[in-house]
This record gives sequence, C-alpha cells and structure tokens, in this order.
Amino acid sequence: MIPALALVLGVALGLFLEPTVPAALQPYLPIAVVAALDAVFGAVRAQLEGIFDDRVFVVSFVSNVVVAGLVVFLGDQLGVGGQLSTGVVVVLGIRIFSNAAAIRRRVFHA
Amino acid sequence: MSLLVDMMTNTLDEAYAERAASTPAPSGTSQPPAPRARRAVTALALVAVGVVSTAAVSQVRGQDDSGLRGRLAAEALNRTAQSEALDGRAEALRAELPRLREAALGADAVGRSLAERLTSLELASATTPVVGPGVVVTLDDAAPTEDLQAPFSEDGRVRDTDLQDTVNALWAAGAEAMSINGQRLTALTAKRSAGAAVLVDLLPLSPPYVVRAVGPSAGLELGLLDGEVGSRLMTYAELYGLRLDVRRERELRLAGAADPDLRRATPVEAGAPDDPP
Repeated sequence: MIPALALVLGVALGLFLEPTVPAALQPYLPIAVVAALDAVFGAVRAQLEGIFDDRVFVVSFVSNVVVAGLVVFLGDQLGVGGQLSTGVVVVLGIRIFSNAAAIRRRVFHA
Repeated sequence: MSLLVDMMTNTLDEAYAERAASTPAPSGTSQPPAPRARRAVTALALVAVGVVSTAAVSQVRGQDDSGLRGRLAAEALNRTAQSEALDGRAEALRAELPRLREAALGADAVGRSLAERLTSLELASATTPVVGPGVVVTLDDAAPTEDLQAPFSEDGRVRDTDLQDTVNALWAAGAEAMSINGQRLTALTAKRSAGAAVLVDLLPLSPPYVVRAVGPSAGLELGLLDGEVGSRLMTYAELYGLRLDVRRERELRLAGAADPDLRRATPVEAGAPDDPP
C-alpha cells in the first residue's frame, strides 16, 4: 500500500514541480526510467512470490539505473550509443514483460 | 545461446532468492516486518521512480511543442503583416506625391520644368509607378515528378542566374521598367539566391517568377527569345522541364520602388563641376 502511494506521490511531484533535467543527463533519462521500471516489476513479482526484500529492491533499483546509464554513456563515447540504448531497452523490456507475465499468473492464476 | 536463454527465463533478480534463502539463517535479526528505515528507503526509491518517469515524459513532450515554434511563427506573421501595412502606407503616400508636387511647382514655368525633370529622373530611378505596353515572362520550376523520394529535381529549379539573365536580356532589348513578382527593379536591385529561394532585394520570392517588363513588346519578346538567354532557357525547358512562358500585354502597370537609401551620395551643389577629371 505504502509503495503504491509513494509511486503516485512521485508522479504527482514530477507533474507539479516539473523538474528540469540537466542537458547532459537528458539522453540517459529514458534508459533510467526503463531500468527503474524493471526493478519495480521485479519487486512486485518478488512480493507476490513472498521473497521480497527491500534491501535487494533498493540496491537493484540503484544499480540498474546506474549501470544502464553507464552502458549508454560508454556507448556514446564509442559512437554506438543509439544501438546500445536499443539493446538496453530490449533486454529490460523482455524482463519487464516476463515479470509482468509472472505477476499476471500469480494474480489471476491464468 | 545460453546468454539469451538465461535472459529470457531468469527474469527475476536472483538476489531476491538468495536473500530469501539466507534470511532464516542465524544472522537474521531483521525478520519481517522490516525496520521502518528500510521501508522508508523503498518508498523513497518509488517516489524517485515516479519523479524520474514524469520528468522523462515531460521532457520528451516538451521537445515538440514547447510553444517556441508557435511563438516564432506568430511573430513572423505579425511582422509580415506590419511590413505589409507599412508598404501600403508608403504606397498611399507616394500616390499623394504627384498631386502635392503639382500644387507646389505647377504655378510657374520654372516650377513646371523642375517638375518635368523630376519626373524623368523618377522614371529612371524606378521610384514612380509606370504604365505601358510590354511583355510578361513567367519562369517556373519543373513540375514535381512521380518520384516520391525526390519530387523536385535540382536541375529543374529556376536559379537566381536565370532571373538575372532574363532581366538583363530584357533591359538589353529595350525594357524601360521591370518588376519581378511585383517587386520593382531598380539599378540597385540585387537578384540572388539563398539556398533554394531566390531573393530579390533580400525579399524571398517563391516560384512562379513573373517578370513584367514595360517597353516595345514585340522587340522585348524577340530580344529575349531570339537571344542567347532565350535559347538557353528553352533548352532548360526541354531538358529539365523548366517552365517558360512569354506573353505580350497591351497595358502593364508596375508599382514604384522604394526610394533608395543613399548613404554616401549627396546632390551636387549648383555651379560645381559635374564630373571633375
């Protein structure tokens, strides 16, 4: 319950405060969002499976975002930033999808 | 292959399972419910997810309609309207000029001769509207082709040099006054291109380019079409589809050009030598 409220609060804060992202960080923002979503879906699934652990969640969340950002940054330096961010999005997208499917199986038993 | 298979099957962070396996171990002092601080950190992380996602979305949205483009377009339209209004006012004032001059100079012979001289000078400097027979030369880019990738070929485009040549050929054939798309040409008018656009006196014009020339219409038509320029333009028309049309008109009316901005030149004092050696 509290986590859901926190998420809603975060969205509301984002809408009201309209934080401006430094231009240097802008390319990494979408990747960071996808990585964060992956961590969130993983956490929901773990919660449903009864093995949720907040430390794991926070660490995986932070490391996901940082690693995804670093990979894209490195790609930018190597001139393959676009391809690498596509790769990151594909991998994380697959994970989000399968975690969502697992959540669906747990919730609806279907 | 195993990497891909692993990626597809093992989607949950393994740390959760490891942690779950290790929590019942003797070290586990923090059995669920987890301490408050940790739950607060989780909540904080989720707040961060919300803020970051919203920021990302608003950033992407802001890229296409931050309103800047709209504001610039409105500004451009506004300024164009202003400039047109001022042009209209200048036109009206210019139309008033002959009547006022008549009133001021028409009284005696000296004044009348002065007025006559002024009129001829104005005709030469293209600052008065004129009327007379002439030709209308229409130049247009080639019609767009079927090729959807590149419907407008570079070769079929009317260039600034084409307009320059046409105008020069018409002057040479005896044109007395000329305009391009309503812009009166003077001795100082520049016809040049900026990218794909042709500028006449720094005003961008769009095709078709209509050159109106007042003068002996038959002579103008012959002079243009029989000359080098005409044959070149007709070759372009045949090869690249450039469109050229020359038509005689019984009566053409050309607006006057704006008075030239003289920055250095001043009138010669009476009695001073005209052209010192």
